[in-house]
Amino acid sequence: MTRTASPRLTSYAVLGVVGLLAALVFGRPELVALAAPFLLALGVGLASAATPRLTASFALDAARAVEGDEVTGRVTVAAAGPVDRLDVYVPVPQGLEVAHGDNPLALVLRPGVERELPLTLRAARWGGYAIGPLFLRARDAAGLLAWEAVVAGTRELRVYPREPTLQRVVRPVETQVFAGNEVARTKGDGIEFADIRPWAPGDVLRRVNWRASARRGELWVNESHPERNTDVILFVDSFAEARTGGAGTLDLSVRATAALADAYLRRRDRVGLIGFGGILRWLVPGTGVAQLYRIVDALIDTQIVLSYYWRELDVIPRRTLPPNALVVALTPLLDPRSVAALLDLRNRGYDLAVVDVSPVPFALRPAEGDARIAFDLWKLRREAIRHRLTSAGVAVVEWQEGTPLQAIVEEVRQFRRYAWRARG
Amino acid sequence: MAAGAAGLGLLVLTAALALRAPSAVGWAVLVCGAGYPAGRHGGSDVWAATAGALLLLAAELASWSIDEDSRIETERPVLLRRGAFVTALALGSFVVGLMLLAAAHVAAGASLVVAGAGVLAAVVAVAVVLRLVRGVGGQTRV
Repeated sequence: MTRTASPRLTSYAVLGVVGLLAALVFGRPELVALAAPFLLALGVGLASAATPRLTASFALDAARAVEGDEVTGRVTVAAAGPVDRLDVYVPVPQGLEVAHGDNPLALVLRPGVERELPLTLRAARWGGYAIGPLFLRARDAAGLLAWEAVVAGTRELRVYPREPTLQRVVRPVETQVFAGNEVARTKGDGIEFADIRPWAPGDVLRRVNWRASARRGELWVNESHPERNTDVILFVDSFAEARTGGAGTLDLSVRATAALADAYLRRRDRVGLIGFGGILRWLVPGTGVAQLYRIVDALIDTQIVLSYYWRELDVIPRRTLPPNALVVALTPLLDPRSVAALLDLRNRGYDLAVVDVSPVPFALRPAEGDARIAFDLWKLRREAIRHRLTSAGVAVVEWQEGTPLQAIVEEVRQFRRYAWRARG
Repeated sequence: MAAGAAGLGLLVLTAALALRAPSAVGWAVLVCGAGYPAGRHGGSDVWAATAGALLLLAAELASWSIDEDSRIETERPVLLRRGAFVTALALGSFVVGLMLLAAAHVAAGASLVVAGAGVLAAVVAVAVVLRLVRGVGGQTRV
């Protein structure tokens, strides 16, 4: 515990001594009466001051929450002796807000009485937070001395993004071998009718198409499209973001990635994750609720890290980028390295769809001058990048803040459908 | 001259409050206090006790105003305690000042060194009493 003295302590001592000395020098007794109150205050204040013996702790009711939820915290303080004033403060990181409770708070502590101070925090933004440490400052009755202490230790809170539920997702071109919800282009056992063919030894009787068989005079069987799962890789660009106030392109990207992961995993698809930025991180494709939690936990740790060095996609293990996987990229197209990585993926033959998380709403257009021209040139450059991706056969859709994610997904589906028709 | 010192002291105090400079409060008190005897010419002045108490009250209130941070939510008992302490201190210092002036008036020929020693003795006495009270209070709560 660190003890500090108020400037008043020195001032009162000086005033008292000066007053007494002046009284002696000038022979004026009333100067003693002027100085005495300050010496009295000094004496009373120092006599009543005692180092407080405090116990304090801070706890959270939950370690996990979803965006918009409220989490209750509790600060507990107690003292062995009386404390005339105790200031209690818990630093709350940006992204969390104090919904209820006072922070900081000044209170009186009676000896042996434990005070519990509730503090309700609202999770305004997804992310991993460390709340704390707890700062305490005790003062004596006169306010001449202060004791400060820090209760070390932080409480971790992981806030998951609140993602919208997607009804439909981007359909991949290729499927995998395991059962799933995606109708494959190949023929086999399934529900969706594909074709008919002549009967071959081994075909079951229930697959016979009796009408076609009667017309042709020989047995013909139905073929179906099987339902298979797909491999989906979610590509999150974390090189740079555009941000205004409390919202930015990375926030949109993370929420959209969580929504897409949830939608694909519900379809029994395998979903993997690549965070491409100053820190390259990846998650091997997997299925189930456990994979969803792994993806969301990895997304929470995603941050913009400024770096002039980056690693190419070559370093990613092959099983993280399986062949025939659909890659859905969420990127603001701000960094040329991300664009180069996406074009590299396309050149390797991956099925790629890009959601351009538009940074334009987060950048104020200057009113006039060279800055305005530069802003317009920047927008033109972005259009050129989108055109370059489109020319490579990549579905690119611009997503502005405020547009529902489902609408963007539908737009990507439409783009790919017409692109298939054009290729076909 | 007394009015000038009071005005200057008020100016310094205002600056201390505006700039939130607690160390400047002492200077304001010093200037006002220096102007007081300049306006009184000789003799034992019973108003000195009042002036001393008021100077202390002004210093305490100014320091309280500077120390208070509007960002910190303060519970009512904290304010009441501080207010009661300041009031008691001002009243107590007024009484002590009166006693000192009375003693100086009675012992007109006594030296000021004795008077100063008396002040210090009074302060020490109060401090000892408070220490004892605090110590006894702690033991009774065991």
